[in-house]
Amino acid sequence: MSRTTRSKPQPYVEEAHTIKPRNVSFQWEEVPLHYIPDEPLATQFWNVMHLVIPIGERLMAGALSEALPFIADERLREEAIGFIGQETMHADSHEGYHEHLAAHGIDVEPVVRNASLMLQKILSDHGLKGRAKKEWLAERLAFYAAAEHFTAVVGQWLLDAEGLDEAQMHPMMLDLLRWHGAEEVEHRDVLFDVFQHVDGSYARRARWALLASAGLLGTWLVSLNHLMAQDPSRRWWKPWPLQIAGAVRRGLVPSLTIFATEIPVYLKPGFHPSSMGTLDSAIRYLATSPAARAAEQGA
Amino acid sequence: MPGLILAGDPVPDVALHPGVDLFVRTVDAYRAIAVSPLGRALTRPRPVRRTGFDQDLVVHDLRLEAEGVISLTLRAPDWSTLPFWRPGAHLDVFLPSGRQRQYSLCGDPDDPTRYRIAVRRIEDGGGGSREVHDDITVGDQLTVRGPRNAFRIAPASGYLFVAGGIGITPILPMVRTAHRQGVPWRLIYTARSRASMPFLDELARYRSGEVVVLPDDEHGIPDVAALVDGVAEGHATYLCGPPQMAAAAHRALAARGGRSELHTERFSARPVVDGTEFTARLARTGTSVTVAADETLLAAVRRARPDVTYSCQQGFCGTCKVAVLSGDVDHRDTTLLDSQRPDSMLVCVSRGTGELVLDL
Repeated sequence: MSRTTRSKPQPYVEEAHTIKPRNVSFQWEEVPLHYIPDEPLATQFWNVMHLVIPIGERLMAGALSEALPFIADERLREEAIGFIGQETMHADSHEGYHEHLAAHGIDVEPVVRNASLMLQKILSDHGLKGRAKKEWLAERLAFYAAAEHFTAVVGQWLLDAEGLDEAQMHPMMLDLLRWHGAEEVEHRDVLFDVFQHVDGSYARRARWALLASAGLLGTWLVSLNHLMAQDPSRRWWKPWPLQIAGAVRRGLVPSLTIFATEIPVYLKPGFHPSSMGTLDSAIRYLATSPAARAAEQGA
Repeated sequence: MPGLILAGDPVPDVALHPGVDLFVRTVDAYRAIAVSPLGRALTRPRPVRRTGFDQDLVVHDLRLEAEGVISLTLRAPDWSTLPFWRPGAHLDVFLPSGRQRQYSLCGDPDDPTRYRIAVRRIEDGGGGSREVHDDITVGDQLTVRGPRNAFRIAPASGYLFVAGGIGITPILPMVRTAHRQGVPWRLIYTARSRASMPFLDELARYRSGEVVVLPDDEHGIPDVAALVDGVAEGHATYLCGPPQMAAAAHRALAARGGRSELHTERFSARPVVDGTEFTARLARTGTSVTVAADETLLAAVRRARPDVTYSCQQGFCGTCKVAVLSGDVDHRDTTLLDSQRPDSMLVCVSRGTGELVLDL
């Protein structure tokens, strides 16, 4: 890394927000296949999250643990350490739904296999050594930082999504999504700051913003297509892209246009995730979430 | 429970959907360029560094606030501006003996140059509070880390604050904030006795809300469930007190149902109970560590391997899982499967008897 430029260290001017995993658990026995009643498309949209996201979270937690030796800033280390546990708890919680979804007759295996192996093949270190290994770590951190931007946007969307309440989404599933969304908002700075600390190259950030956006959107649509083909509702007269538009309009899923519109936001020079608004709604949700609250009862 | 996946972990060689395979190959081509001289020429690292999480502050003032409670006011030696904090924040204080203790900030968040903490003397504790009471004087320098907030206050249409004993410290700035914002609030403040309760005089200044003082020796042990159950609809509850008090409040509000907010401070790892000393040999590092009766195996391992992965420190997230090569493990986690226990352990909570050999 020959052309590294170093800027003068800037002092912290604000308190740190403690990032710590919460010991949540969810029970799915009573959750129907269409946990958003009569909304197969929106339900399958969130099923993609259950199936695809856990592997990415485990890989991201692994990348962060590999980055720890390069994090000299104690505050950022603390945040990274808390982040690792939050991500593995997200992965455990979403994976816990796989078996139940399969019991409803959905063949989840091809989606999980393709998404998992795709991400593992792309993001493993391919036997790289020395300088190339460190550079590939920086590349991967740039990917995770971009992905975390999208999860923070979707997390905030989930916290604000009154449409899901109005549609009477099953409360336990809604709690899983909102607890996850709130923690994504709560820790939205961490991966970005780790990337900036370890590498900070704008070119890397820009390349991976595009790759992450295309990869996430593509993975989501391909997986959704696979799940919709199996959905027993058989609304064959209505192509599912039209069903997506309807679900977006009813406030049940975020608009997929974020994969385009958030790129210039994320790539604005001087961007920092803390500029995305306050943590208030995330903090308030976590103080009402049945799962997050139950985690505190054992104290 | 697979925990995390490292980039060096083996990737199963299973067939992928052709379209997915094409995407993988595209990124493979990208990687070949990214880590090549051409990629380097196109990439200019520009690491961003921050400082000031740890600071050396001066003890500016010491005051006896109540029976067994002193407050310390801290400032920078040159009176420079300190990092901004919100009610609920705390500081790590490194005591001269090397002990590290966390104390809530109980001063005024609008005072940019001073922090205040308050410390109750605990005779049979770990010695940190006795050290603060006996050995620290005005003019001493203390290293602090933070502030950090694990109990951040969020806007609400009204507040119920509940403080148990020294738990008043993070609550006091919250009361001040609610008072200044003109939001309805009520404080229930419990403790052993009135004489042991700090800041009653300061609280008396905030007349916009109601302060209910409940010393045990006048009113008996408080029924926490009944206290939090009285919260007005739509108001948020912020509670700081002993862990049993917080757990009782969470149970009471869960039983009641509904959407009322209950905020409690998120504490770090709990102290080790019923621990005995043992040793752990780190096979790959080629060293042994002694684990004292009152420390975790994780803490001991980190002396030899500072970058070992961990997170929750309470035995549930699974990220500190380590393979055990030999030895008897006292499993204290809540997440490993029985099939994993014979040859792995979570080093954040579980312990050994005699000698453990770990794959570290």
